[in-house]
Amino acid sequence: MTASLVRPTTFRRWHRETVLLGLSWAFLFTNLAALTLLRPASLLTHGFLLAVWSACAVFGRRVLHQRLPGHDPLFFPLVMFLSGWGLVLIARLAPPFAERQAVWLLLSTGALLLAASLPHSLRWLRNYRYILLLGGLLLLGLTIVFGTNPSGQAGAPELWLGLWPVFFQPSEALKIILVAFLASYLAEQYPALRAKGLEGEAPRLALSPRVFGPILLMWGLSVIILIWQRDLGTAALFFVVFLVLLYVASGYRLILVSGALLILIAGVIAYREFSVVQLRVDIWLNPWPEADNRAFQIVQSLLAFAAGGIFGQGVGQGSPTYIPVVHSDFVFAALAEEWGLHGVIVALVCIAALFTRGLRTGIQQQGRPFRALLAVGLSTLIATQSLLIMAGVLKVMPLTGVTLPFMSYGGSSLLASFVIVGLLLRLSVAEST
Amino acid sequence: MSTDVILLLLRIVSGLLLAAVLVVLFLALWRDYSHVASGVAARRRSYGRLVALRELDGHTVATGETYPLLAITSLGRAPTNTVPISDSFASSEHALVAMRDGQWWLEDRNSRNGTMLNDMPVTAPVVLTEGDVIGIGQARFRVELEP
Repeated sequence: MTASLVRPTTFRRWHRETVLLGLSWAFLFTNLAALTLLRPASLLTHGFLLAVWSACAVFGRRVLHQRLPGHDPLFFPLVMFLSGWGLVLIARLAPPFAERQAVWLLLSTGALLLAASLPHSLRWLRNYRYILLLGGLLLLGLTIVFGTNPSGQAGAPELWLGLWPVFFQPSEALKIILVAFLASYLAEQYPALRAKGLEGEAPRLALSPRVFGPILLMWGLSVIILIWQRDLGTAALFFVVFLVLLYVASGYRLILVSGALLILIAGVIAYREFSVVQLRVDIWLNPWPEADNRAFQIVQSLLAFAAGGIFGQGVGQGSPTYIPVVHSDFVFAALAEEWGLHGVIVALVCIAALFTRGLRTGIQQQGRPFRALLAVGLSTLIATQSLLIMAGVLKVMPLTGVTLPFMSYGGSSLLASFVIVGLLLRLSVAEST
Repeated sequence: MSTDVILLLLRIVSGLLLAAVLVVLFLALWRDYSHVASGVAARRRSYGRLVALRELDGHTVATGETYPLLAITSLGRAPTNTVPISDSFASSEHALVAMRDGQWWLEDRNSRNGTMLNDMPVTAPVVLTEGDVIGIGQARFRVELEP
């Protein structure tokens, strides 16, 4: 390709990125202004949020423009838009946490830029995969032994490692490590998985332990997470992402069928054995008899969606705080109440656009199995997590307690999501090394 | 202006901005994918293949050998040809199948025993269509083109 062909496209990319970031800034400004009108006392906090966001956006765009020319123009503005929206939501729902979240946004943007521009980040992920995986599992093991819950409630799932004053959720880091590990493992097995017999003959390895061994291993790991930590969401997330990766690597439909069966079996067993799962499924099937106690959260969430209507109540003018812990798991319900169907559609489209850009990055890197699988795995991770919690909040699926990426309150979740996008940005640059 | 009016205005502005984000996203995705689609269409080549046939007791049967058609496919007895033919009636560089202006053409390369298209001798370059049979010596090839 000649230079004259390259220049206009890079210009247009730059342009698109700037337009989207500008629109996000205007959206953030408008909503924070409305919120400040309602609560004049928190003017300083809102100013701080806007300043931090603008600094992240300007600095991030400049660094990406310099260090990663030719990167995908949609990832960064979409992520900044969603996390800015998240800042507004947290400032509105849980004002004491807003500044903390802004600091996390600063750290996360730094991590995104590091992941995107460190020269050998992908090679490290690939070469040190066993060390990384062992470290991740060790952290998870530590959580099982020493885990705490920042809210301090008795009986709440203890998924955090506390290093006061910072709480960190190791399963967030494990998500990225696991996807990288699987991508590099499957990339090595790629020739064997893709090997075909003579023309017309069925692939011979379809039932070999090479394929089913890892599935059972992952299933076991997910079940262990489920049993020890009662973290239904993360277990489901790991398993779904793993199935998708294995299917993409091998192309056997049997994997999807058998995986769905295994999920069903695990679900039935969990329903019989664990009261948490039983409760979740019961209030999913019919929340109304217990709307006052056990199903209070999900019923309030549905009422919030109903109250939002098409255009929403306007920021700060609805009453989503009736929902318990609305700022982390149920942030989507608050969004629906204050921005309405309009806002819900925009949020969904943004996440879907992230997902399709991730898959497109995978297609671009088709010649390199590790990179293609990493891109597919990371974008599936974000999409599945969003889908699990959105469907859970809307009572389409039983509720699983995962965060909504980029929007929910939570430092480790935001950090992990930003690192994922940083890696995707890195993958979107077609390079020769 | 009362606070309510300002809040309403801000709500409208925020809704419009959301819509604007949707529009920009749509345009960006649309432009990118149409760009990719035109690239794919330009690189797409038309596929075809030659299926080797043999006459057995008056019936024509496929031998099972097929040769994908390249942009320039040469046929002949020399092993350097795209489709080598081990037939003593074939010249070492016997005939050529080539893509020109979106059509497949068959051309005889001044071979000693001539090239047949549907049992008619080929004297000038001729356009091939689906199901044509090329004859070189005793060898027969059926042309299968992707529509």
